[in-house]
Amino acid sequence: MWELIGIWLAALLTLCIFSFLYRDNPFYRFAEHLFVGVSVGYGIVLTVHQGLIPFAWNPLRDAFTQQQWIGLVKIIPICIGALFFARLFPAHGWLIRYPIAILIGVGSGLAIPNVMRADIFEQVLGTLTPFAQIHAGELDPFQIFGAILMLLGVISTLTYFFFSVEHRGVVGGVSKIGIVFLMIGFGSAFGNTVMGRVSLLIQRVDFLLADWLHLI
Amino acid sequence: MRRQVPLILCFAFGIVMALTEFSPHRFSQWLNKEVIDWTLVIGPFALVLAIATLIQTHWTRIRRRSEYWQYSFLVFIGMIVMVVIGIPLGQRHPVFVWLFRYVQVPMDATMFSLLAFFIASAAYRAFRARTLEATLLLAAALIVMIGNAPVGDLIWNTIIPFGDNLPSAARQWILDNPNLSARRGIILGISLGVISQSIRIILGIERSYLGGVEGD
Repeated sequence: MWELIGIWLAALLTLCIFSFLYRDNPFYRFAEHLFVGVSVGYGIVLTVHQGLIPFAWNPLRDAFTQQQWIGLVKIIPICIGALFFARLFPAHGWLIRYPIAILIGVGSGLAIPNVMRADIFEQVLGTLTPFAQIHAGELDPFQIFGAILMLLGVISTLTYFFFSVEHRGVVGGVSKIGIVFLMIGFGSAFGNTVMGRVSLLIQRVDFLLADWLHLI
Repeated sequence: MRRQVPLILCFAFGIVMALTEFSPHRFSQWLNKEVIDWTLVIGPFALVLAIATLIQTHWTRIRRRSEYWQYSFLVFIGMIVMVVIGIPLGQRHPVFVWLFRYVQVPMDATMFSLLAFFIASAAYRAFRARTLEATLLLAAALIVMIGNAPVGDLIWNTIIPFGDNLPSAARQWILDNPNLSARRGIILGISLGVISQSIRIILGIERSYLGGVEGD
């Protein structure tokens, strides 16, 4: 019963949103505003159940019910977080800088080692590892061509974004090769994005025709 | 007090997080995890502020009877229903799951599927193979799109007597070689930027996140 009501509701909301393809209309505006409210509500529930309850409420509760006094330390981040509300009082608005500074400091501190590890060392490793395999005779000519192309693409793309020297002569030529790789990369990203959206469209049409109308 | 303390906090938390990431010592690992837990408590308070702003915006629309003000009630209804059900009953309660499955997911998927039409329309108007770069972008996008759809291989295998499943193989080769090399170049550039910006933030050279004016 509830599943049937759910399918009808989902189908009507789907049609309301698709009605925007004709033009802006009350049905679309209805679904659009409902979507904003429901999404914000869902975000609040997730934040409470996956953030505040396990990391703030539970340690405090355990501190008082099971005498795990270490949990009381969670009062500090709660007080720091509450400083966000200083924004609502213009005279004390500057206090909001404290939680922002802590969040930005933690984010920056975490970014340095993690970005270095995942986005620099691993990417360089991935680019150069095939050359060790070439040396060991493990790759066929087509894979060797791919490895050389990869190195050329990475160096030329980086050269394109290197603005400390004028892009003339050898640097200009290499940066032009970089543009070629970038265009292929952007084209691939575009193609993948389009196909991702088309997959969603197919899924919605499949829902309407199969689950709702039972036509297929 | 208003600017120095946040700068000191940012420096201290940034240095602690960067150093504890490298140290395998038990205390260091505990401190790292504890500070990350703190951010999970502090962060949601920023969400509360964002929600307060959303409520204020829509409440003002209703009070002033702005255009389409009636729809603002839907934002409140959607948000309140999700919160009233989700917070006390939990995110795994059947009613909350039902709302997620039959209200939020269909609208979310349909909203994104609408983009298929707009991307196609924009591409039709903007894509012109006038230069080599534009041609490469167009060709890469077309190959990736055709290779992504099973019908691409089917048409190729039916019409062309050689090169079984060539569209999907060509798509995979483009994604694994020229596309990946361009992405690696971009990722390396972004990573170096992130690291230098993080160092600037931790050392207090970059202070724009504090907002306001000097001496405030």
